[in-house]
Amino acid sequence: MKTPAKAEGIAKTVSPTPWRIFLTLARIVSLTLGGGYAIVPAIGNAFEKQGWIKEEEFYRVFSRAQVFPGPIALTTSFLCSYRIAGARGAVAAVFGVVLPPFFALILVGGFISLYGDTELFKRFLHGAGAVVPGLVGSILWRTARNRKWSVRIVIEVVTLAVLLAVFPSSAFFILIGGIIVLYVGRLVWKS
Amino acid sequence: MEILNVSLTFLKVGVVAFGGGWSVVGLIKQEIVPHWMSADAFNSLIAIAQSTPGPIALNAATLVGWQKAGILGALAATFSVIAFPLLAMSLALAFSKYIPLKKDLADESLRSGSMAMILMTLWTLLPHTSLPMPWIFAFAAFGITAFTKINAVWVILGAGALNMLLGVLH
Repeated sequence: MKTPAKAEGIAKTVSPTPWRIFLTLARIVSLTLGGGYAIVPAIGNAFEKQGWIKEEEFYRVFSRAQVFPGPIALTTSFLCSYRIAGARGAVAAVFGVVLPPFFALILVGGFISLYGDTELFKRFLHGAGAVVPGLVGSILWRTARNRKWSVRIVIEVVTLAVLLAVFPSSAFFILIGGIIVLYVGRLVWKS
Repeated sequence: MEILNVSLTFLKVGVVAFGGGWSVVGLIKQEIVPHWMSADAFNSLIAIAQSTPGPIALNAATLVGWQKAGILGALAATFSVIAFPLLAMSLALAFSKYIPLKKDLADESLRSGSMAMILMTLWTLLPHTSLPMPWIFAFAAFGITAFTKINAVWVILGAGALNMLLGVLH
């Protein structure tokens, strides 16, 4: 990836065609482990390097993307590519983000169906699975630490979490309804 | 029929897939454990989803679809889980001028919703056993990923290798 332009510290500008967007995203997504929050900065970096978008603008799109459901890598790439290359760019972004992991998983899945029954491999998966609650705990910790806490937010989070825990089969409706209620509550009753 | 079932389930998951992969994992678990697979099988599947490149919610959907209904199931699950987000974004882009949403208020409400979902995820993923091993692994993983910059992938792969080694020594 060392181009003369990069060596001189000048952003190399190529026009963001759908095909180039697809290739850029596919390369990043297939090489970045660790989920959406690891992928997003890499995308910002690559788009900026090719002169497609400025960093501040990229992160403005990123914060808007968090308003939508769906994998953050997908929503950010979609909105960003729409901005720089229109609807065709956005479609290219979807395929760029979705296809590489799909094929990687089919390969991994094939591997598991071949070796999944061996005792050693079962032990590997068992150990790997055991750390998952710890990982979720640390995401919660990091999210909580990065938020400005108030009594209102504690009440919101605890109420929703208790409702979700007590009525797990209605999680879908609790979340949709809950988010609407919180939004309207904030509109009506500003703390 | 299975494929339709998979599609509907992940369509539903896609509608509330706020707040990053882990909160979505809890939702997926709610939908499919125990009638589609056991809690243990689900945890292993999540470990695979996390150690493969790509967004974890997308990977989890692909793997569940694959286990449930083969390659077509994987395709159906993958495209179902992103269908609503894509629709929502397209509509928002088309009508953004006409939506009088206060963005900062909406952001804060979504963040509360997403934290509650992560809490629920944690709750449903906690080990249902008094054996020490799963708890030790989980607490060690929490300590490493919450307080160091070590990538979660290494924690997952390391824990798998360690458990394999313990099995060999036994």
